[in-house]
Amino acid sequence: MRGRGRRRSTALLAVAVAMVTLAFGLAACGGDTVGGGNQDEVTTAKGGPVSGQLTISNWPGYMDPGPNNTIAKFEKTTGVSVDYIEDVNENESFFGKMQPLLKEGESGGRSIFVVTDWMAKQMYDLGFLQEIDHADLPTVFENMRPQLESPAFDPGRKFSVPWGSGMGGLWVDTAKAPEIRSVNDLFDPKSKGKRTMLGELREPVPLVMLAEGIDPVEATNDDWLNAIDRIGEAAESGQIRRFTGNDYTEDLTAGNIVGAIGWSGDASIIENPNAEWRMPTEGCSLWSDNMVIPVGAPNVGAAFGWMDFIYQPEVNAPLAEYITYIPPVEGVQDLVKPELAKDPLVFPSPKFTAKCTDQDSPPDIEPVNEAWQEVITG
Amino acid sequence: MSLRQRLVPYWLLGPGLLWLIIFFVVPMYFMGELALRSGSLTTGYTFDWAWANFPDSLSGHTEQIGRSFFYAGTATILALLIGYPLAYAIAFRAGRYRTLLLFAVIAPFFTTYLIRTIAWKTILSDSSPLVSVLQTLSLVPPDGRVLATSGAVIAGLTYNFLPFMILPLYANLERLDLSLVEAAKDLYSSSRQAFLRVTLPLTMPGIVAGVLLTFIPAFGDYINAQLLGGTQQAMVGNVIQSLYLNQRDYPEAAALSFLMMALILGIVSLYIRFAGTGAFMGGDEEEAT
Amino acid sequence: MAVAAHAWGWLRRKALLIYAGLAVAYMLIPIAIIAVFSFGATPQGKLTFGLNDGFTTEYWSSAFSLPELNEALFTSLRLAALSTLIATAIGTLMAIALVRHTFRGRHLANLLIVIPMATPEVVIGASLLSMFIYYTFALGFTTLLIAHVMFSISFVVVVVRSRLIGFDRSLEEAAADLGATPLATFRTVTLPLLAPGVVAAALLAFALSIDDFVISNFNSGTTVTFPLYVYGVSLRGIPVQVNVLATMLFIVTAIAAALVLIQQRRAERMAAVRPEPEAPPTLSPA
Repeated sequence: MRGRGRRRSTALLAVAVAMVTLAFGLAACGGDTVGGGNQDEVTTAKGGPVSGQLTISNWPGYMDPGPNNTIAKFEKTTGVSVDYIEDVNENESFFGKMQPLLKEGESGGRSIFVVTDWMAKQMYDLGFLQEIDHADLPTVFENMRPQLESPAFDPGRKFSVPWGSGMGGLWVDTAKAPEIRSVNDLFDPKSKGKRTMLGELREPVPLVMLAEGIDPVEATNDDWLNAIDRIGEAAESGQIRRFTGNDYTEDLTAGNIVGAIGWSGDASIIENPNAEWRMPTEGCSLWSDNMVIPVGAPNVGAAFGWMDFIYQPEVNAPLAEYITYIPPVEGVQDLVKPELAKDPLVFPSPKFTAKCTDQDSPPDIEPVNEAWQEVITG
Repeated sequence: MSLRQRLVPYWLLGPGLLWLIIFFVVPMYFMGELALRSGSLTTGYTFDWAWANFPDSLSGHTEQIGRSFFYAGTATILALLIGYPLAYAIAFRAGRYRTLLLFAVIAPFFTTYLIRTIAWKTILSDSSPLVSVLQTLSLVPPDGRVLATSGAVIAGLTYNFLPFMILPLYANLERLDLSLVEAAKDLYSSSRQAFLRVTLPLTMPGIVAGVLLTFIPAFGDYINAQLLGGTQQAMVGNVIQSLYLNQRDYPEAAALSFLMMALILGIVSLYIRFAGTGAFMGGDEEEAT
Repeated sequence: MAVAAHAWGWLRRKALLIYAGLAVAYMLIPIAIIAVFSFGATPQGKLTFGLNDGFTTEYWSSAFSLPELNEALFTSLRLAALSTLIATAIGTLMAIALVRHTFRGRHLANLLIVIPMATPEVVIGASLLSMFIYYTFALGFTTLLIAHVMFSISFVVVVVRSRLIGFDRSLEEAAADLGATPLATFRTVTLPLLAPGVVAAALLAFALSIDDFVISNFNSGTTVTFPLYVYGVSLRGIPVQVNVLATMLFIVTAIAAALVLIQQRRAERMAAVRPEPEAPPTLSPA
């Protein structure tokens, strides 16, 4: 019995050693660098006939529903058959999923992604996106709202076309905590444990910096880290209940929280009549989600056709009515329902957003990101 | 034994082993290679035998690892306490309703992990009747809450992994020969003695299977912590997910994953040695005539 | 004395049933909640788990009005059925080999089966994805199927094995004594007796596949499964139709279970009889 056992374990050991040696032998042969930024071969996407099949990846809730929605109209007008997938739930996880594909120059069949500005920039810097020729998108650049024409993350709109914009600010349950008007109020120990913050780095941290009088776009790494520390302490003491994605809306509806950092366009999903979005006294954060063309995108012609189609005011208006975020197209305000046209959250005046800041990345992203992840994962 | 007979086990194992090797071992190799690289998304990941990744990935995450142990362990024990009597009842007392009950155990799976957990979120929300009852019973402080606490996460884990405990238990219990228990009673043992001395040892393989099938996935879970937990309830799964998707620190993510796997395997072998049956690993005492 | 013991026994028996009943109720509470809220009226048709606006059946009548949802559900069902079939077959064979035969490499095989269960889903999903990319294998239904079968095999093996271990061999020996070939014995004696274990394993594999989110997320390409769909919409408001379909699925499975019940009663009359032990049992088990 013992002899058998010893023979068996020796055999096992031998096999294990052999496998390990083989594996690392193969690896050492490689010894190369995988990944990394690669800006050398950025291609410009070429227009073409608007036909065939088009696959779009977008955020959920960004398309009006029903058999006669915007997609159906596009399909009817152009004959293109559209595969519209709502799989962008978070910039980071979408990126994580797509990164291995994009690295190899593949887009997984998609011709358009819609991602937030800083993620678009990150993808571009890594060589994952194609540039667009404005000549191929006449309607887009004719109708784009002037404020969006040259944003900090993509001056001259080399690779992105905005889909919609929004503001990050405060959602408040006015019945239970009417006094919350600034991000600083979220740190108030009153109603401790009834506050949440968004988990994406670039939402709460710039707002906290704003609340301390620091301009996030000019902030140093230390400013970011200090703000993160402050949030971290609040998290540990139980002041902040959770870091959320879009699901802070559920907490608001259920009455679990009275104050949250959240997005301006989410009114339609919050079933709490007392909840309202407030512009923090120190200003909000402005972001936009953008259509981008990835490397390896099939059928760019149809993609351009889609973009041009969306940028017609009469097409964008019903879309805006459903999404209730800020439309990128000039002239939509005159075409939508009067209550919506007057809503400052959907059509904010420049004065309303005067103190708002763009979402930007810290100068040295890695230590900041790491510190933030420490805070989020407790 | 003829050659043909000797080859039988290999034929039986063949398809499965092949599948596992191609679709599990090979990707693991890719991941192992990744764990020894260093770098970042922008600079690329260079393979440079970065063994430091392994201890690095552990440091600073010991809290989450300990937490995962605690949550998964508690959930497993609770699942065993709830699941064993239920499996026993289904196997021996259910009679005609056995399939129906088994179905009731499986049914939650068809409504999607996320929806189930969100449903629990509703049941446990601050303003729900359940929480009010708990507050009246002083199980929860008057201004306290159930959600966003460790308790909620453990409750979620227990619920979601209960079928993993019940099914193996049932599969094993069902095969139990009750006449052995009767014989024990005929020989003047009490019901409790009969249970402890006859039933329990005979159903140990089922218990071992159930415990392992529950503990291990619970240990690596992150959805319960994400939906039902607060800022201080993150588990190892959350860390790995964050490393992988948010920080894109693939080497560290890979290293931590390997360490986690090693840890779990260590526990598994310890547990089996302790449980003493060896039956789980198809040990030597199993006849093979 | 006898009366008291009798009463105690009666109580204990009832206690078990009561306890089991409670446990089952516990399992079904979220389903009840899901079903209830499928009747809740909400603006915009988004699930809110609040009953402020009263009840309605409109979502039931428009249950199939969301094409992406229907497609996702159908994909998941197809995927689960296929992966269950393959994984259960492969896994059962493996379990038999591991329990009934001795051979070289048994420990290695055991190891290979246990390790996938010890691996976090994030890791399995991501590593599979890297491999598929490396070999430029198109992501989609096939890669999903491969992944689902892969993680199901281990569970099937464990469940079937735990049943095989307590198996009474004397029936098979009896069949052999009566002249049956090994294959015939397997078909007519072993397999039917193994059936409950195999069915349990198959159920588990099916459930795992239908429910899987993390691994599917990495390997699905543009294919959308039901959990992926739910996750996507959960961030912007789950359409109530999701609840409706989930409840429907539950009801359909309940009907299927009832049918199996009826069938089982018929089969019970033909099932093998439990063997009586030939000798008085010893008091020290294994």
